[in-house]
Formats: sequence, C-alpha cells, structure tokens
Amino acid sequence: MLLFVVRRVLGMVPLVLGATFVIFAAVYALPGDPIRAIAGPTAEISPATRAALTEEYHLDEPLLVQYWYYLTGVLRGDLGVDLRGVPVYDLVEAAWPVSLLLGLTAWALMAVVGVGLGTVAAMRRGGAFDWAVLGLTTVIVGVPYFVVAYVLQIVVGVQLGWLPSSGIREGWPTSYVLPAACLALFGLPELSRLTRASIIENRQADFVDTATAKGLAPRVILVRHILRTSLVPVVSVLGLALGFLMSGAILVEGIFNVPGLGFTLFNGIRQQNGPVVVGISTLMVFIFLAINLLVDIVCGLLDPRISLVRDG
Amino acid sequence: MTLSRRPRSRSLRMLAVAMAAALALSACGGDDGDNDGDNDGDGGGGGDTSLVLGLPSFFVTNFAPGGTGSSNIDYAVWTPLTTIEAGTGELGPGVAEEWASEDQQTWTVTLQDGWTFHDGSPVTAQSFVDSWNATATAANALNGNAQMNIIEGYEEMNPAKGEPSATELSGLEVVDELTLEVTLNAPNTLFPYLIANPVFAPLPEGAADDLKSFATNPIGNGPYMFRDGGFGAGDQDVYLVPYEDYAGTPANVDEIDLRIYQDPSSIYTDFQAGSLDLALLDGDNLATAKQEYPEQVVDVSFPALIYLGFPAYDDRFTPEIRQAISMAIDREAIVDGLLQGNGTPATGLAPDVLEGGGEAACASCTFDPDGAKAALDAAGGWDGDLVLYTYQDPTNERILEAVTNQIRSNLGIEGVTFEALPIEQLYERFGAQSIDGPSLAYAGAAFPHLYALADQMLNPGQLLNVTGYDNEEFTSAMESAVTEASSIEDTTEQVRAAVDLALADAPVAPLFWPRGGLVHSESVSGVVPEFLGGARLALLEVS
Repeated sequence: MLLFVVRRVLGMVPLVLGATFVIFAAVYALPGDPIRAIAGPTAEISPATRAALTEEYHLDEPLLVQYWYYLTGVLRGDLGVDLRGVPVYDLVEAAWPVSLLLGLTAWALMAVVGVGLGTVAAMRRGGAFDWAVLGLTTVIVGVPYFVVAYVLQIVVGVQLGWLPSSGIREGWPTSYVLPAACLALFGLPELSRLTRASIIENRQADFVDTATAKGLAPRVILVRHILRTSLVPVVSVLGLALGFLMSGAILVEGIFNVPGLGFTLFNGIRQQNGPVVVGISTLMVFIFLAINLLVDIVCGLLDPRISLVRDG
Repeated sequence: MTLSRRPRSRSLRMLAVAMAAALALSACGGDDGDNDGDNDGDGGGGGDTSLVLGLPSFFVTNFAPGGTGSSNIDYAVWTPLTTIEAGTGELGPGVAEEWASEDQQTWTVTLQDGWTFHDGSPVTAQSFVDSWNATATAANALNGNAQMNIIEGYEEMNPAKGEPSATELSGLEVVDELTLEVTLNAPNTLFPYLIANPVFAPLPEGAADDLKSFATNPIGNGPYMFRDGGFGAGDQDVYLVPYEDYAGTPANVDEIDLRIYQDPSSIYTDFQAGSLDLALLDGDNLATAKQEYPEQVVDVSFPALIYLGFPAYDDRFTPEIRQAISMAIDREAIVDGLLQGNGTPATGLAPDVLEGGGEAACASCTFDPDGAKAALDAAGGWDGDLVLYTYQDPTNERILEAVTNQIRSNLGIEGVTFEALPIEQLYERFGAQSIDGPSLAYAGAAFPHLYALADQMLNPGQLLNVTGYDNEEFTSAMESAVTEASSIEDTTEQVRAAVDLALADAPVAPLFWPRGGLVHSESVSGVVPEFLGGARLALLEVS
C-alpha cells in the first residue's frame, strides 16, 4: 500500500513537469502584449515604465528561462506575483476555501442524488420511475447548464426570493445551494446512468446468485454485494468529477459571483495576467493528481479484485 | 474552451430570462409587487444610514493616486487640488484655494489650511510633490505615469531609451507648506483641469516607500475612508465610512458597502432581487430598468464618442467618400432602435458634458441618403469590397451591422461587410496601419474638456488616433489653443475652431454619444453622476 503510494507520487513528477510546462508555454504563446493588457488597450505607457515592467516580470527572457524562474519559485512555495503586484498566493488563498466548499457541496448533492436515482432506477428496471429518470437526465444533458443557472437565479433568487441570487455573503448553505445545484446537474446524468447500468450488470453476476442461494436477505445482497461492486466505476467517475468541481467551474462561479478559483482563473485569462493563469492552473493540476491517487486507493479498498501493489 | 462560449451566453441569457418570465407568469401572477419594497437595503437600525453599491471588481484594485482608474470610488477616497462639479462639469476648488499663472507655464497653487489625511496628518505642498514624483518614477510602473509628462523633468525620469537620469521632477518646487510652484514642459491653460484627476492626489509622508501595500491600504484625503483600513484580494464587500475631519463638504451616508462583482452581468439581477441600492447600468439592463423602475433611474452622459474612423493612410477614403458614408448613416434609427434611446445622435465631436462640446460642428452628421448617394457618385462611386471593423462586443457588433446595412442600401455598395476582431488585435492593427476599412471605435475623454477628446482622437501619435489622421493645420491650432490662449474660455473657443476645421474633412464620422443610467432604490437620493459615470458618493443621501 505505502509502496503503491510512493510509486504513484514519484510517477507524478514528470507529469507535473510536463503539465506545468505545457500551461506555461501556452500562456507564453498567447497573442497580445501583457503590459498593454494591464494598462488597457487605450492607456498611455511610457517607454521607461514598459522597461521597468519588462525587467520585473522577465518578459524579455526566452521561454525556458522564464519557466525556470517559475519552477524554482514553485518549489519554494512561491506562485509568483501577478501583473498588478498582488502575490498569486494571496489570490489563491482567498479563493480555494470557497471553491472547496462549493465543490464539496455540489459533489455531495451529485453523489447522493445520482447514485440514489441510479439505484432505484436499476431496481425497478423498465418501470415508470426508470423511464422518468431516463427522461429527466436526457433533458439535463440537452440544456446547457448556464441556461439552467440563469433560470434558477432569476426564478429562485429574484422572483421567489427564496435564496440569494448571487454572492456568498450569507454563507453556507444558503448562498451555496443554487450554484452547487447547477454544478451538480453537470455530472448527474452520467452518474445515475452509470450506477444503473453497473447495478443491472452486477445483479446477474454469479456472486449474487451464490448469495441468493445462501439465503441472504435481499437488502443485504443489495447493499453488501451488489452496491459495493457496482460502485467501483462510479467512484472513479465521482473522483474525477470531484477534481473538476473543486478546481472551479468557471461559468457557474461567474454567474453566481462566487469568488473561487475558476473565476480568478477566468479573470486572469481575460486580463492576460499570465502569472495568475499559470499559478492557478498548476494548483489545479495538483488537485487533480491528488484526487486521482485518492480514487485509486478507494477503488482498491472497494474491490478486492484490484491489487494496489501489482497494478500500480 | 469554455471561454469561447461566453459571448453566446448573453443571447442564451435572454432566452433564460424569457423562460423565467414565462414560468413566473404561469406559476405566481401576483409576486411582482414586492420587489420594490425589498430595495431598501439591509441597512442597520439605530438611525445609521447605509447603502449597498454594486460594482465590477475592476474599480476596487489600486488606490495609490498614480494607480487609480479615476472612478467614482477614487473620487470618494481622494480629493485632488481642484475638483470638477458633478453634473455640470464646472471647475472648482479642492484642496487648493487658488491657482494662477502669468505665462500658463509656471503655476502657483495655494493650498487651503486645515486639510488632513485619513490618519490625521496634514496635507501640504510636499504631499503633492511626493505623490507626483512617485507616479513619475518608472520603476513604480503606475498607470498614471504618462499623465505626469506635462511637468518639467518628466523626460529625465522617463527617457525613451536608457536609464533615468533623475529621481525627482525638476518642475516641482515647495515654496512653503501651503504653496506649490509647478513648472510645465510647455504652457498649458488646461492645467487646472488636469490636476482635478485623482491621479494628481497627494500622498501622505512615507507612503511612497511601499506603494504596493498602499494600493490596497490607502490613506486618502477624501470624504470617505475605508472602514477596515483597506481590502484584500478576494474581498466581496469593502466598506466606506465618512472621514470625520474632512475639510470639504462632509459625507452623508454612515456606511457604503461596495459589493464587488467578478461578472457584472449579475449586478442588475441582484438589484432586482433587492440586495443592491445603487448600480451603474448600460445596454439591455438599462432599458429593462427604465421600464421596471422608471422613477429610479438617473441618466448618465458618458464623456465619450462612438464613431466610425476612416483609415487616413488608405487613398480610397477621400474626404468626399468619407462625407458620403457619414451622411448615409441614420444615427437616430440606431439610437432609438438598437440602443433603446440610451444615447444621443452625435452632432459634433464631443457631448455637452465636456467643456466646449455639444455643438453642431459636423455637417455630414445629418442623415441625408439622397445627398450621400449624390456625393458618392460625384466622388466617382465605390469599386469593389468595403470591410468595416470593430472589436468584439455585442453592442458594437449590433451597431456595426446596422451601419453596414445602411451603407449597402443608402449608397448602393453591394460588397460591404463587417468584421469583429479581439480588442487587442484591432488596436495592434491600428498601430501597424493595416486596417483597410472604416472602424467603429470608442473614444473617452480623460478630463472634461473638448480638448481631451480632440487631442487623443485627431493628433498624430496619440493612442486613440486610430485613423492615423495627421493634419498640421489642426495640430498647430490645437497647440496654440493651450499654449497661447489667455484664458480657459479663449482655449475653448480656439479648440472648437480647430475641431471644426478637422471635421470639415470628416476624418471620422461621429455616430453617437453613449449614455448609461444609475439605478437606485427608493430610499437613496442625491444620485448625481461623477465624470466617468458612477454616482458621486459624497452627494448620496439615504432616508
């Protein structure tokens, strides 16, 4: 187990290097002039100011040198300074708890509702409930989720006034319910379908027949045998979704004015604020990798057929 | 990938609004009534007044004088030497009580006694010198740096090449605690207007040593101060409270909550939901607000012009062709049909919020399709394609599409099309003079005088001169208007004459002067727009 974790962490090193370099190079290659972007397209910049900024941010150095400055900074725990002089670390520090809370709320909603709907639909396969879930998830897939976001914002937030229409100043849970519900919708169809299919497949498995033959109660068979094995693919999907949700959902955070990572990143891109984009993307890579590792471990614990050491 | 969806999401948003409206109508017919009542804000009791102001995050970033964006928040935190009256645009005293010059080049500014910073320290002539020196220092990389270029010694601190040879502006001299002598690079009658900008606000002693932390923890000298001393990177609410010892007209509201939005599109939604008291709107939101809250919208004339600029470096666009195109555009139809009336068809270069603006000085701005066609034919007609340009923005694209159609039908030019580029790309191509057709662009004035707009748009080498227009007669008339005029009135007259001269050539076709609106809850009064459009916070009152 420990060996598996160590091997996986070591395996992540080239991955982190590769991913950060690609992000760095992509930001480097963005068209436009970052100094012009800070000042706005119509503001006057004196040549001396330009020279000072260029030197401060190493803008005239080649890509590899700039990347080296950045990498050594990250190793020291320094994510750099954005083009307005704010340390990226400060931006991230303010944004990550918000994204974490929003992501976890959405994730919990998605897991409970998705797995629940999938399980019931599978147990009543072909019935009215099954068809209703199929219909509902098809509609969700068909409607872009930012449309859902605006509709929820206007109906629930403005017309009915049940929940705040934007911002997080009322705290958890009131302010987080609407954006989290929108985010949860994103993964709901896939999750409920997957749970349903996986359970249906496992219901016909040999070990279920064995359990039935041994005379176990149907509830015990469902929870201890069918659900446990059926959840292996579901956990993988949930894990990846967690990474997506926590690393910030750009549009939803924007629409609901939630000051999380996704929005900070979006602002960074809009302002051509390279250090912000690179810093937050790097952080997202780390979050993703950490969650992947966690998912692998959990899958191993859930399914005795997966051996952590050999397959790692 | 998600980014490319953004423009689309606006039209989808309208769909969403329509769906929501339909849902609400079928579900609960009588719910609309209590929206207004909610708009009183969630102010505290005990006689304290407060209001919530919604604004994009852009306005709350940097409050060092040299780093300000000259927004209404900057004017609340800072009081410069002179002030421009909100609404009328008239020049009046700020910290200074007098400013005078014999030759318009060396200015003696006398400060009023008794002005203090928010920490209680006095505002002196040295405070202004410290501030302007800090802004002129290239290494500080402040946005306002270039605005210091009128002062003698700026060149030494900001050489076009090489290292700066000075660390202070040689044109600044502290005569005594309350007297400042400023020597400019060249005579400039508009100096009193220029120093009304918060970029020229004073700095308390020692602040220049750490401008980065000062930017978010400013010690200002304006009617309002930050309740908590400053703000952090992710703050959603920043609070302003009155500065008790303010030497000017005191502030009226006990607490202003600046609610910061990353995406301004949800500002109006929150106003509808009753969680905001005041917001600056434009576009579709403004049109909706005027219907929903007709009594609660105050019109704002932006000090700006939307125009069609013709590439001066392209021989095909002779003055006659430019005039013909200008005459073929029905400005009224665009303002009424596409902007829901939130604009004024341009009759000259500058709107009347600018000193010297608002005059009818553009003959070809009057819609005359027959005259336009005749003028085009007389100029030899148009051969081949004609591409119009603008930057990517839903309103711009909508307007340019209408302009394109009007040119096609009124001038009979079949090959006319339009193209919207990313804004940085468009301005890069303006700089490289590689735009081969008329462009729809926006020009704003930095201070409330016709000169500011005319200089930026029509003098060669200026950033907003996207057309490459270069007319020696105009440039020398503009120069003598500020260097040789005897008074501001005289300057205004001369600048007007220079602009008339330029517009006779139609280097640009002025289209309209944009308008916004300040929507406020019923409890808020005293809503008067600041120069750049936001409400002047010092005048707000809450009942």
